[in-house]
Amino acid sequence: MRLRHWLAAGAAGSLLTISAATIAPLAAQEQVEPSKNLMPGKDVELTTARCVICHDATHITRSRLSRAEWEDNIQVMITRGMPIAPNEIPLVVEYLATYYNRDVAPPSAGAAPAAAAPSEDPVQKLLSTNACIACHAVDRKLIGPGFREIARRYQGQGDAPDQLVKKIREGGSGVWGATPMPPHRHLGDADLKVMVGWIMQQK
Amino acid sequence: MSETINDQSVQEGRVSRRGFIARVAGAGAVVASGAGLPEFALAQGAPKPPADPAGVIPNDQVMAGKDAALKIHSERPLTASATAEYLADDITPTNRVFVRNNLFTTQFDEATHMVEIKGLVDKQLKLNVADLRKNFQPVSTMAMIECAGAGRTGFNPVPRGTPWPPTGGMSCPKWNGVRLSDVLRTAGVKSGAVHVAFTGADFGALPTIPKVARSVPLWKAMEEHSMIVYGMNDGPLPVIHGAPIRVMIPGWAGSASVKWVASIEVLDAPLKGPYMDSSYRMPKHPVPPGSKMPADAASTEGWPIKSIITNPAPNATFKQGKPVLVAGHAWVAEADIDRVEVSFDEGRTWQNAQLNAKAAKYAWQTFSYAYNPRGPGYVTVLARATDSNGNMQPIVTPWNPLGYYWNGLHRVGFTVEA
Repeated sequence: MRLRHWLAAGAAGSLLTISAATIAPLAAQEQVEPSKNLMPGKDVELTTARCVICHDATHITRSRLSRAEWEDNIQVMITRGMPIAPNEIPLVVEYLATYYNRDVAPPSAGAAPAAAAPSEDPVQKLLSTNACIACHAVDRKLIGPGFREIARRYQGQGDAPDQLVKKIREGGSGVWGATPMPPHRHLGDADLKVMVGWIMQQK
Repeated sequence: MSETINDQSVQEGRVSRRGFIARVAGAGAVVASGAGLPEFALAQGAPKPPADPAGVIPNDQVMAGKDAALKIHSERPLTASATAEYLADDITPTNRVFVRNNLFTTQFDEATHMVEIKGLVDKQLKLNVADLRKNFQPVSTMAMIECAGAGRTGFNPVPRGTPWPPTGGMSCPKWNGVRLSDVLRTAGVKSGAVHVAFTGADFGALPTIPKVARSVPLWKAMEEHSMIVYGMNDGPLPVIHGAPIRVMIPGWAGSASVKWVASIEVLDAPLKGPYMDSSYRMPKHPVPPGSKMPADAASTEGWPIKSIITNPAPNATFKQGKPVLVAGHAWVAEADIDRVEVSFDEGRTWQNAQLNAKAAKYAWQTFSYAYNPRGPGYVTVLARATDSNGNMQPIVTPWNPLGYYWNGLHRVGFTVEA
């Protein structure tokens, strides 16, 4: 059919120039490219650790929701597997409802609490970048056991460091319950040694 | 009435280069056109998302198989779509079919990846692609697949979720596979069956993340266009679209069309789980913008009447003296298109567009109209479709908490030069 051919030719031709402009005055306008990182503020680290595991930060940074919607959203995310302790929920809601609120502008940069100094601690950096802290806290069980609990269990076992290195690298389940620990095969020996050394000191 | 269109009498128009977005060749990264907020958090040593686990196909590899017209909306989970001006084809080419993951893009072995047919059936089945090809009649159909949140940014305020553009997140490819009903009949559906649940084998970043799982009423699962799919547009099914095997529930919110399907379970009630009870829900009655999801809500099903204008492209320019081709698609899940009207005066008056025949029950229908410019200047065109039950597209879709079923009128502006 001629019209179809014509349309196909038109579509091919339009490949040469790509227009991102959309005219949608009947609809809300698209926002500018959202930031890949959360705004600094109280509990930004906790919010990042709990949220920016399963999805990137733009899901938050492009959103402006009411407090009620943020509360609702956290409950939905928990059903989708969000790792969060009950006492952390109000902290994360408070952060989101302060900095990404449709009705109230975020505190200006000058009024924001002083940003924490960049973390130079190699252990904290390792735990963060490998998302260990999504499932493990120091002093309590989240999805997996707390680091102190792990240190206590392996205390006094001569081959504990080797066992832990293997556990982190290979993953597994059964020691602490049915929830499996995923493997982390990309981790090098040096990093594993640093991590395990630190864990064993958490008593 | 619309005029007859022939190749010589209509103009294609030039597309403005304003708002040009370049994609780094091969890398799949989108270069932002607007200024983003400063990147504070990393400088503070905030945690970064963990690296993709083994068995996951990285986004740049997925996007290398896609047309440059696809814009990435989020990197984890990966979502991307092309807007109306790139969707003129009757059959959406595979490289322009939109991308929507809930979890990772996971690669499974074609021989060992099985789908289990279980639940209220006389005999359980365990099938791989080869079993499906060998034991069931192959079928193909063009059908709409559309994310429940397609067009979400049309709502005001914009609800949470993937920021689909007003005309992004829908595709109409040709699907190759077998009828879901043939497979269910072979297994033997027992009395008392009400819903059929599909569960994907894909996985998320943490072991505690639930699998993607949705159920549909038995009648929809048994409808002859519902399929287990292993091919797209007579070619292989790309991994990003659920290879080796996926479900395709035509015309319904895309989440029902579970990718990488591992289990098809016949149930005596709708499935319970996060993808049924907290996501993919619509209030039964409209709620004020900004509300929480009310208790009185239902799971998403078929898409309501909708249309998009694929030509002209936004901001195209035309020479005076020749008709301008206006064209697009209209679709609705469980009805037929009665008519598509177009308006060039912001909805004061409407003209019937010419409607092509529907290629398949759940395919979109192409409409066209030859517009004769009255003189030079800026022109806008609105399209409005009505289905066989008398349901007409609204000017603006009523707001709902998760931003589903956007079907407000699409409006495109273009310029006629003297």
